[in-house]
Amino acid sequence: MQKQPFNVFRFFLNNSTIFLFIAVFIIFGLSSPRTAIGDTGIDFPRFWLPENILNIIKQAAVFAGIIGVGMTFVLLTAGIDLSVGSNMYLSVVCAGLLMRSSGLEIVPALFVSLLVGTLYGAFNAFCIVRLKIIPFMTTLATLVVGRGLGTALTSSQQIDFPERMNAFGQTMVFGVIPMPIVMFVLVVLAAWFILTQTQFGRQVYAVGNDIDVAKKAGINTDRNLAMVYIISGFCAGLAGFVLASQLGGRVDRSFGETREFDAIAAAVLGGTSLFGGVGNVFGTVIGAMLIQMVGIGLQFNLVNLYLQPMARAFIIFLAIFFDSLREANYKKLKRRFIRPVHSASSEARAADAGD
Amino acid sequence: MSILDDRLSSAHALSQRQATKPRSGPPIRRAIQDFLLSDYFVLYLTLFFFITAAIFFPSLRNPGNIANQLQNMWPLLAVAIGQTFVLILGGIDLSVGATMGITSVVGAIVMAQTLDPSFFDRSPLWGTLMRPEGGVLAGSEWAVPVGVVVMLVTGTLIGFLNGYAITRFNLAPFMVTLVTSTFFAAFALWLTQSRNISGLPEAFLNLGKGDILSIYLGPKLTSDIARRDILSFITYPFVISVGLAFISQFLLSRTVFGRQMFSIGTNRRASEISGVPGKSVITRVYMFSGFCAAVASIMYSGRIGFGQPSLGGGNLLLDVIGAAVIGGTSLFGGKGSVRGTFFGVAFFVLLSNILNAMQLSPFVIDAVKGVIILLAALIDITRTRLINREQRV
Amino acid sequence: MTSLLELHNLTKAFFGIAAVKDVSLSINAGETLGLIGQNGAGKSTLVNIVGGVVHSDSGHMTLNEQPYTPRIPADAQHAGVAFIHQELNLFTNLTIAENIFISNFPRMGVLRTIDRAKIKALTGELLASVGLDIPSDTYVERISPGERQLVEIAKALYQDASLIIFDEPTTSLTARETERLFAIMGQLRAQGKAIVYISHILGDVQKLSDQIAVMRDGELVACEPASALTIKRMISLMVGRSIEQLYPKRTTSPTTDPLLTAKNISASGIVEDISFTLHKGEVLGLFGLMGSGRTELARMIFGADQFESGEIVVEGELVRKPSPRSSIHNKIAFVTENRREEGLLMSIDIANNISLVSLPEFARSMLQVIDQRQMFDSARETANTLQLKSGDIRQQPVKSLSGGNQQKVVIAKWLLSRPSIFIMDEPTRGIDVGAKYEIYTIIDRLAAEGSGVLIISSELEELIGMCDRILVMSRGEIYGEFTREQFQDERILRAAFREQDLPMMSVHDGQAKRD
Repeated sequence: MQKQPFNVFRFFLNNSTIFLFIAVFIIFGLSSPRTAIGDTGIDFPRFWLPENILNIIKQAAVFAGIIGVGMTFVLLTAGIDLSVGSNMYLSVVCAGLLMRSSGLEIVPALFVSLLVGTLYGAFNAFCIVRLKIIPFMTTLATLVVGRGLGTALTSSQQIDFPERMNAFGQTMVFGVIPMPIVMFVLVVLAAWFILTQTQFGRQVYAVGNDIDVAKKAGINTDRNLAMVYIISGFCAGLAGFVLASQLGGRVDRSFGETREFDAIAAAVLGGTSLFGGVGNVFGTVIGAMLIQMVGIGLQFNLVNLYLQPMARAFIIFLAIFFDSLREANYKKLKRRFIRPVHSASSEARAADAGD
Repeated sequence: MSILDDRLSSAHALSQRQATKPRSGPPIRRAIQDFLLSDYFVLYLTLFFFITAAIFFPSLRNPGNIANQLQNMWPLLAVAIGQTFVLILGGIDLSVGATMGITSVVGAIVMAQTLDPSFFDRSPLWGTLMRPEGGVLAGSEWAVPVGVVVMLVTGTLIGFLNGYAITRFNLAPFMVTLVTSTFFAAFALWLTQSRNISGLPEAFLNLGKGDILSIYLGPKLTSDIARRDILSFITYPFVISVGLAFISQFLLSRTVFGRQMFSIGTNRRASEISGVPGKSVITRVYMFSGFCAAVASIMYSGRIGFGQPSLGGGNLLLDVIGAAVIGGTSLFGGKGSVRGTFFGVAFFVLLSNILNAMQLSPFVIDAVKGVIILLAALIDITRTRLINREQRV
Repeated sequence: MTSLLELHNLTKAFFGIAAVKDVSLSINAGETLGLIGQNGAGKSTLVNIVGGVVHSDSGHMTLNEQPYTPRIPADAQHAGVAFIHQELNLFTNLTIAENIFISNFPRMGVLRTIDRAKIKALTGELLASVGLDIPSDTYVERISPGERQLVEIAKALYQDASLIIFDEPTTSLTARETERLFAIMGQLRAQGKAIVYISHILGDVQKLSDQIAVMRDGELVACEPASALTIKRMISLMVGRSIEQLYPKRTTSPTTDPLLTAKNISASGIVEDISFTLHKGEVLGLFGLMGSGRTELARMIFGADQFESGEIVVEGELVRKPSPRSSIHNKIAFVTENRREEGLLMSIDIANNISLVSLPEFARSMLQVIDQRQMFDSARETANTLQLKSGDIRQQPVKSLSGGNQQKVVIAKWLLSRPSIFIMDEPTRGIDVGAKYEIYTIIDRLAAEGSGVLIISSELEELIGMCDRILVMSRGEIYGEFTREQFQDERILRAAFREQDLPMMSVHDGQAKRD
C-alpha cells in the first residue's frame, strides 16, 4: 500500500466520531438554556456546566460504557454479543437475591454479580467456540434464556435491594467523583492495558484482522475467541450491578433490555469496525458519551421525549455509514498492485531514496 | 496436465476435498440420518410432541384449544414468510416488529372512528390527521380498504428503505434493520403518545377474527349456541395467511425471482457475474418482508381491535427466526422453504401452547424457546455436515 | 557441503491428478536452489509439502538427517523452515514488531506486559539485518509490498530458519526493492542458510542460484548447476515435448471482421494502455504468468471491475459503463478462472446452474414464471452437447462433479445464452487430459460457428495448440503479439519473462516494450 497524501476526506472519515462529538457538544451547548453564574453576570449554558458533564459521563458509563468496553473486545474479533442486556439482568438478580436472603454485603454481592456475568460469558464462549454455533445465533438465544432464568428466579417480581445498595450508588470517591465514573475509568484502563500491553490483546487484533493467518502464525484462536466473550460477560456483570445501584436499588423485569444495541452503537461510533481488527476502548468511551450527550442535549432543549430514540437511531445510522465508508476505503488501499503506481507520492519517495 | 491453483492447497480447501465417505454403517444409523435429513422432519417432530404432550396435559386435547392455537398461527406465519425470504438471501430483518407497530398505528389513524382528545391531543398529528371525530377517513365507507392499503404500502416502504441502505451503502443488514427498528418503534410511540388507538371499524375487526366457516362440535340442545363453543375454522386470517403462503411458495419455486434469490443467497459474486441483478433482488426481498409484516399487522390489529404502537415487540423476532430456522431455513443463506417455515411456525405455536399449559411464567417460556433455538442451530449445523459428507467430491 | 533438506520420492495427487510425481531433491546449507517450471508444473505443491501446508501421499523428507514430517505450517516453522508466500502472512493492523513477535512476545514484570523496549531493540536489529530502515512501530498497512516482504524475511530470521523458501517474491517489487532483496539473500547464503527460490524471472534465478531444478508436469526433469544452464535451455526444459496429440485440429480460419475491440484500457497499478481486437471466428490467446494482470483485464472487459480510462467497442457499438448485465446483453460470456468461487453455485443442482444466465429467457408472463419444462430440456440438451457425465441434472449438486464436468457446466451455462464472444480464463485448469480435449473441441466449434474466443491461459502449449493469435501480457501491459506462423514456444516464453537482451533493471521499470 502506498503512502497516501493527506486527504481531507479521509481524515474526516477516520475521525468522524470526534468531529460529531465536538459538533454535538457545541450545538447543544449553544442552544440549551442558560443560567447565571454567581455574581459575574455571565450567562453560561447549562449544558456545559461541570455537574452536567459529570452527569453525562456517569450515564455513559452505566448505560453503554462499561458493556461497550466488553463489546469492543468481541467486535474486534468480528464477533457480536447480543446477550449483554440479559446478562446484566441475571447477574444483578443473583446478587440481589443473595443480598436479601443472606444479608450479603456490597462487596461480596458485587463479586457474585461479576461471577455470574463471567459464567454467562463462558457459556456463550462454549457454544461459539466448541459447538461452533455462530455468535449471532448463540447470543440471541442466550439473550432470551438469560432473561427467562432471571425472571424465573424472581418469580417475575421486581427486586428491591437493601438500602446499602442505594448508598453504594451514591458514593462519591474522594468526595467529588461519582462511583460509576470510577468504575468506568478502572474498566477502561484495564481494557486499554490488556489490549495494548499484553500478548493476548495484540492477538485479539490479529485474529480480527485475519483468522486464517492467525492460525498459521500459531495463535490459539479458540482460546482468544473464548476469552473475549468471557470478558464481555464480566463487564455485563459489573455494569448490571452499578446500574442497579443508580436506579435506587430497584430492578424489574425489563432491566437491561436493549442495552446491547447501545453498547454496539457506542463501540461502532468509537471506530470499532463490525468487520473486526479495528478499534480501541477510548473510541468506545467517546461513542458512549456521544450517545448520552445527544440524549441529554435533546432533553435540555426540551425536545419531545419521543423524538430522542429517533435521534439516537439516526446517530447510529451515521456511525455505521461512516464505518462502511472507512472499510471501503481501507480495502482499496489494501489491494495488491501488479505494477508500480504512478502517483505523486511514490515518485516522491523514489526521488527521496535516490533512485 | 494442469494442476489446481496453490491457493486451493491451503488447509481449508484440503478439508473440502477429502474423499467421499460412502453412506456406511449399520442400517439403524442410516435410518437416523435419513430421518434427520427428511424435509418433513419438523412435521414429525411437531406431531410427536403434540401427541406426547396431549397425554400429560388434557387441556391440549380440547377442540377449543386446538382451534385457538391454529388461530395463533396465521399472523406469525405471515411475518415468518417474509423473514424466510430475507434469510434465504443470507440477510436478516430485525425491523419486522417495529414495522408491525407503525403500520398498526398508521392504519388506525386512517380508520379510527373516534379519537379521545385526552389521549392524543399532544400527538403531532392532532388537529390535522387526527381529530376527536376520528382519523382521516373516519366513518367513510372507504376507511377500511384505504386503511389496509396504507398499511401495506407503509410496510413495503420501510422494507425499501432497508433494502436501499443495505445495497447502496453496503451496510450490514443486521445494523440497518436494527436502526430502522429503533426509529420506527419510537416513531409509532410518538404518533400515538404511547396510547393504543381504539374505535376501529367493524369491517376491519373482521379481518382479524372474522369467521368464514366455523364448526360446532357437540349436541344441539337449544337453538342458541354459546359463541364460545363455536370453533373458528376457516377465518379471514387463515385465508390471508395460507393464500400468502401459496403465493410465496410459488414465487420461490417457480419464478425467476425465486431462483435469483437462492442463487444470491448461495453465492452473490458468482450470481452477479452470471447477470443476476443483486441489488434489485435484495431490495425487493426486503420490501416483501416489510409487506409481510404489514399483513401480519393487519391480522393482529384486527384481532385485538386497536392500533398498537408496541405491536410486534417483545420476543416476536425470536419466534419468527426460531420458526424459520426450525423449518429448515439456514441462517447462512441459500436454503429455505415456505413449507418448512409453515411447519416451524406450527411447532412454535404448539410449543408455546404446551408451555402455557404447564403454567410456566412467560419469561421461562421464552427461555425454553431460546434453548430450542440453540438446538435447532445445532441440528442445522449437523445436517449441513451430513449433507456435505454425502456429496463431497 | 552438508545436505540440509532431502526429499525422497515425493508424490502428491489431487483428485486423481498427479501434482508431484516421484520427486527427489537435496538442498545443501548455504546453497540457493532455483525452482522453475510453468504454472501447474508442481513447484508450488512441492514447496507446500516442504512447508507443511499439504501432506505428500508417499515419499519422505529428512531435515539435518532427521525424519521431517510437518503436519501443520507451525511444525515447519519450529523445525527451522520458513516459507515466504507470495501472499504475505502479515497482520496489516499491527506494527512490524508486533507481527514478528505475535505468538511469542518477550514479557516483563508481574503483569506479564509486553516488553516494548526489548522488542523494539530486537526488531531494530532484525530490520537492520535485512536493510530495512523503518521504525519498528510502523503499522504494516502503511508499508509497501517490498517492505512487507523484507519484514517476512526478518520474521524468518527471527525464527532462526535454516531453510527459507521464497515463492515469487518479486512480483510486486520495484527495481530497487528487488536489488535489496537480492543483497539480503546474499547475506543469508553467507550465513549458511539454504534458500529455495521460485520465480518466473529466469534471469534472476540464474543469477541467484547455485543449482536449478526444473519441473514439468509434476516431474523433476532436471537439476543442474546454474552455470551449466542457459536461459534458452531452461525454457526448453520447462516446455518439453508432448508426446500425444493433445489438441484437436482447428477446422476454420478466423475472419477479419472485428467483434470486440479494446482501446487503451488502463487502471492505475493494474493494467496500462491495453489495446487489441478480437475477430469473428478467431481464437485469440492471452498468455502471461500469474500476476501479469490477465484476469484483471478480463474482468474489466466484462464489466466485473471498472477501468479508469479507455473504451470497449462491441460489433461497432461503444459500450458505456460495462457491467456483467450489459455484457451479457452484448452477447459476451465470461468463464472465470475460479469456478468454485465465481463460476458455480456449488450446493445447487446442475440444471439450475446451467440455466442461471438465461433465466429471463425462460420467463413467461408478467410474473416471470419459469417454463420449467423448456428450461430443463434446454439445459439437458446443452449438457449433452458437451457430453456432460452426471446423474439426474435436476438433483445432483455441481459440487459432486469432477473438475472437468464442473467446467462443462460453467461453459454450458454460458452457451445457453448464445453469446458471440467468449472470454475464458484458465478454462482447463484442474481438469484431466480427456476432458481437456473435449473442451478444446468445444472451443474449436465455437470459432467455427463465427464466435470469437479469448482464451487466457498460463499453459503455453494449450494456446499454441488452439489459437490463431497469441498476445503476451506481462506486468499489466501487452508485451508481444504472435501470429500462428510466428508460434514458437521459446520466443513467446521469452516475451512473457521479458527476457530481452536488456539489463534486468530497465525491464522492471517497464521501459522495454515490444519484441
